[in-house]
Amino acid sequence: MREFDYLRPVTITELKENLSQPGARILAGGTDIVPKMRQGKFSAPILVDTSGVKAMRFIEDQGHEIVLGALTTHQEMADSPLLRNINPALVTAAESIGCQQTRCRGTLGGNIANASPAADMLPPLLIFNASVLLQSLEGERRLRLEEFLSGPGETALKDGEFIHSVSFSPLTGTWGAVFIKVGKRSGMAVSVVTAAVGVQLDDAGKLGDVRIALGAVGPVALRCRKIEESLMGKTPEPALLKEISQSCQEEINPITDIRSSAEYRTHAAAVIIHRGLDEAVEQAKGRGY
Amino acid sequence: MKELIVTFTLNGKKTSLPSYPNRTLLDVLREDLGLTGAKDACGGEGECGACTVIMNGKPVNSCLLLIGQVEGLQITTIEGLMNNGDYHPLQKAFVKAGAVQCGYCTPGAILAAKALLDENPHPSDQEIREGLSGNLCRCTGYTKMVEAVHQAEKGNADD
Repeated sequence: MREFDYLRPVTITELKENLSQPGARILAGGTDIVPKMRQGKFSAPILVDTSGVKAMRFIEDQGHEIVLGALTTHQEMADSPLLRNINPALVTAAESIGCQQTRCRGTLGGNIANASPAADMLPPLLIFNASVLLQSLEGERRLRLEEFLSGPGETALKDGEFIHSVSFSPLTGTWGAVFIKVGKRSGMAVSVVTAAVGVQLDDAGKLGDVRIALGAVGPVALRCRKIEESLMGKTPEPALLKEISQSCQEEINPITDIRSSAEYRTHAAAVIIHRGLDEAVEQAKGRGY
Repeated sequence: MKELIVTFTLNGKKTSLPSYPNRTLLDVLREDLGLTGAKDACGGEGECGACTVIMNGKPVNSCLLLIGQVEGLQITTIEGLMNNGDYHPLQKAFVKAGAVQCGYCTPGAILAAKALLDENPHPSDQEIREGLSGNLCRCTGYTKMVEAVHQAEKGNADD
């Protein structure tokens, strides 16, 4: 591993100061960065270790919004009854990542900032229209998650800036939110294709609101807005759901890589959108009274 | 690059040692402290779990921890499972159930199992499999490991 200056802030103020130095980069759980450093794919003259910044590890219900600190680990999210209640898709995604060992270290902020096209935490956040709060010595700004993701492994983060927290508003009424992951095996698998589906049913049992986000089928995790539009106001009947799921081809652009082919990803995306719609509608009906 | 002095609790004992920051806990355990129970079987990618240690009650891959990150924390390695020369029930159960073949994954698997049982004292088969999903084993097929964990949680390893 190349040499670096190692800084270990304890407060957010110290973090801002440390990160403002030229060449400074953040280390959180290290599950992505440490292997990359070993392989020479990542290096920084100054490494700012955030493991001691407890103020950024939290899951808070602020009434109109749920706010998650960027240093919250996947295991903490998986174990949170509050989160399970408000965004079950996010909890399913957190549980699906890696294994015990990596979930105890990997963080929400790390998953977002690493911005893999296959990042599991992104689709469940996208369907809840999440936004990220970015901070630096200069101040802070809030971006919608969709704007924050700019390309495979690329985000809108500027030098000296870090993700402080992620927030989203809960769904109301008769709602359901699910996450489905297809990987080459059930554990320790980088996703081949993922889908997060959120629905809200109106009083007549029709789809009042539909939100579908897919991962690993394009350079960034994305919302399938055409499908969402074509489903709004419709009754969730099996034939319709199946047919519309297949039209996802128009909105996605998967590649062939070491894990899977573009053809399989396209096929599987339609399958899991359909399955996700079925499951989200069932969940919603379970919530309705 | 400045050398750090890292102070942490290792197998119950307060330990202070110097190290350059660009080394992992796994490097320090094996090279500086002679604790070779934790192993590198995947080239430090955090993929295999053979380097598993328990940190503040949680199982973690020591190959993914830069040494500075363990400051002030409690680390338990496989060597720390023994109690006054007596093997831990999980160690006995793994041997008794035939869950050890080449033995390379064993220290990591036992620690992952211990972390699981500390959190969930009576896990189901599925929960054990999930708890061990971060420990790659090419020999045993995991069946005997699941048996061993059941033996240990039922306290049957002691005879």
